[in-house]
Amino acid sequence: MANWLESAVARAESGDLVNDCFVGKRRQALTLLKQQAWPTRKVEAWKYTSLYPLQDKTFTIEASNDTAALSTVIDGLESIDLIFINGALQNIPSELPVGLSIASVNDSAEAWAVETYSSIKPERHLFGLVNDVLASDTVIIDVAANASIDRPVRIVNVLSAGHESHSRVLVRLGNNAKASFIEQAIGNESSFHTAFVEYDLGAEAELEHYRFALQTQDAMAVGGCHFNLATKAQLNSTLVGFGSVLSRLDVDVIHAGEYTHAKINAIYLLDNQEIFDLHTVIEHAMPNGSSEENVHGIVADQSTAVFNGRIHIHRDAQKVLAEMNNRNLLLSREATINTKPELEIYADDVRCAHGVTIAEMDKTALFYLQSRGVSLAQAQVMLNFGFINELVDQMPNQILAQWLRPQLRERFAQMEVK
Amino acid sequence: MYTAGYSRLVSIERRDMSEEQIEKVLSREYEAGFVTDIESETFEPGLDEDVIRRISAMKNEPEWMLEWRLKAYAIWLEMEEPDWAHVQYPKIDFQKISYYSAPKSMADKPQSLDEVDPELLETYKKLGIPLEEQMMLAGVAVDVVFDSVSVVTTFKDKLKEAGVIFCSISEALQEYPELVKKYIGSVVPQRDNYFAALNSAVFTDGSFVYIPKGVRCPMELSTYFRINEENTGQFERTIIIADEGSHVSYLEGCTAPQRDENQLHAAVVELVIMDDAEIKYSTVQNWYPGDENGKGGIYNFVTKRAVCYTNAKVSWTQVETGSAITWKYPSCILRGDNSVGEFYSVALTRGMQQADTGTKMIHLGKNTRSTIISKGISAGRSNNSYRGLVRMGPRADGARNFTQCDSLLIGDQCGAHTFPYVESRNPTAIVEHEATTSKVSDDQMFLCQQRGLDPEKAVAMIVNGFCKEVFKELPMEFAVEAGKLLEISLEGSVG
Repeated sequence: MANWLESAVARAESGDLVNDCFVGKRRQALTLLKQQAWPTRKVEAWKYTSLYPLQDKTFTIEASNDTAALSTVIDGLESIDLIFINGALQNIPSELPVGLSIASVNDSAEAWAVETYSSIKPERHLFGLVNDVLASDTVIIDVAANASIDRPVRIVNVLSAGHESHSRVLVRLGNNAKASFIEQAIGNESSFHTAFVEYDLGAEAELEHYRFALQTQDAMAVGGCHFNLATKAQLNSTLVGFGSVLSRLDVDVIHAGEYTHAKINAIYLLDNQEIFDLHTVIEHAMPNGSSEENVHGIVADQSTAVFNGRIHIHRDAQKVLAEMNNRNLLLSREATINTKPELEIYADDVRCAHGVTIAEMDKTALFYLQSRGVSLAQAQVMLNFGFINELVDQMPNQILAQWLRPQLRERFAQMEVK
Repeated sequence: MYTAGYSRLVSIERRDMSEEQIEKVLSREYEAGFVTDIESETFEPGLDEDVIRRISAMKNEPEWMLEWRLKAYAIWLEMEEPDWAHVQYPKIDFQKISYYSAPKSMADKPQSLDEVDPELLETYKKLGIPLEEQMMLAGVAVDVVFDSVSVVTTFKDKLKEAGVIFCSISEALQEYPELVKKYIGSVVPQRDNYFAALNSAVFTDGSFVYIPKGVRCPMELSTYFRINEENTGQFERTIIIADEGSHVSYLEGCTAPQRDENQLHAAVVELVIMDDAEIKYSTVQNWYPGDENGKGGIYNFVTKRAVCYTNAKVSWTQVETGSAITWKYPSCILRGDNSVGEFYSVALTRGMQQADTGTKMIHLGKNTRSTIISKGISAGRSNNSYRGLVRMGPRADGARNFTQCDSLLIGDQCGAHTFPYVESRNPTAIVEHEATTSKVSDDQMFLCQQRGLDPEKAVAMIVNGFCKEVFKELPMEFAVEAGKLLEISLEGSVG
């Protein structure tokens, strides 16, 4: 067993288990966690991603505010910010729009929260359980029925060198509610953090969602977003990932009601020796739902991208329309792409399709640009950008898109075509 | 009416079936499900080193072969049964299987067809194998494997003239031990997987083919496998070597009698394709699938793999309609530059059948190309999975893969699944994968019915169209049989 896991379990057992209203669920998770083996490459869910960088590491557990100075504001966004510094929630904004309530749970929470906590995706991997057990500052966000919140809510994890942290947020959108959430992590130094957010969408609720996993270098991150969609609920999610020494994101969408729709656009851009592992699961449990998933990735230098996209259509989930598309650009001889688009279908009257392509940059397009006087490096950036921008353009919040584009451009400039 | 085997003459009339005939087909039971009552020499169930020694001794094998088997057995004992496939079945008790069964009348080796046990020949007739005159007319040489001993090999002399070796592996071990020693395990080593290790330890027969340099095999080679004795496993091992610039087309067909118990079939096929050579390997698999409730049926765990050297080409074509469980991934290792791998598959499951099948394309050489066309059809309460791997190695410059796997669902109690693994380590390699799942569309059905076709025929027609890309890859007589097999298998699944 890995030293890291042993010490995490030991910490939980020695009384660090947070004693709040979720303690019952934490105890259950701890029991399950103790039965789990450290995943090796032989475990299907970790086949392509090695946990070796984490295995024997030790981190500082104490929350500290030494990165508080880091500016996290996104200009013009006017978001409602929830900032966790090394896992510790800083403060809850005092002035909130009508219909939005945010609470940090210490000892009591409403019944729905206790019920929903860790139930959207009950069978999670090891780090989901670790997060259940060790995330102390759980935040509960409730958007009242029929409320439409104009300002986006931003969940920011700021991480500093040598720290290990776990954050957890539970979000409920009432019936016919509308809201926008942004998840973001900052800090590229050696650290480890798990961040899970659960979203429970009521009937006809609409959620606009973003997750920016832009930590690189030595920052290790394992996290996930789990969505539960009630009748006619709609999800529009954009995921952007840069790789790091260990970066894994699990996205699960459960279509629990009829006529639900989910759209997921994901982008990953990898360089150096980074790894980014994206696992998505779309569960169509009810009829008449639809989902579309577009995943575009560019992989350079010695980096490795992993995409495991699963669509599961349950028996009786008739008239479902599900599409998944994964396109990859491989820029270097030493880079690797491992992709597995899975379909598991038990209903007959459905239409389901998936596609994968892996190729290098179009030589004729490069030649064309060069023949027009564009330098090779610039032409490469342009083509890379064109490949990704299609998805950036589709982001409903263009202020975020404007904030994101220069970061992508900077990334492309570093990525060399070999 | 369909009987398993090559019914190419009868099948021509299949399109003009009357209502009455369709009724008859609808109420059909598994036709190859008879048991031939001939005395067999069968080992007591059980597996240990002693059994392996006895198998080896019965076959008068050289010492190295026994050593090789024992080594495989030792490896097998250490291995665990794989559980990653999308199939469910009770644990197999390997001690309840008999590992050797030979028709007794073989003891005094028949020299010609006349000397063969007439009842045995009757079995083949029921199966529709044209072993005698039809055989000659068809120009097909069959190496018939009846349970474990190869009974009759026809056309051997004619093949010998061309320098082609086509015999049972037991015979090859007697006559060409050096060749067997060189190639056995060279493509599928003993420790490759659980079932391959078991096969390596206890294989009893199979075919051995060697095509010399520059020879185009004068006829299509064909092997017919059949499991007869109750509680026996069939473990055949087939090795085909196509030397430089040669060409061969090999056909394989399978049936088994109807039994309540489940029977195990764990085969290994190794293909070695030298520079500029080509092997076309076609299979129609119609083992007993079990009854409507999933009772009985063959467990089919097969390892098939080909190694291609420079400019070589392998083409796997399979039509899988039988077996309670199919676990089969014919693979291509494209080692040489410019080598080509192809995989065309139709897998139909109905009743309680479970199929987990697909292919692996391992691109190692430059400019290697591969095509995967997989068509899965699920009906009844069955589950049909495509599981495939496409791997572009770091040296596979300019390699190209195209994969298409389509699933068709008939009825709302079945399942269709796709598990494609795509791994690329070379930027100049291009991989394309697409998959779709749908049901037989109402529009198509309406169109057909509007033109006067009954629903049954309409479905058969649509499915036939769905599988066309694969059928056109099959040799003529197999294509006809396959189409017919599908049509009959689909009867009763519409409604």
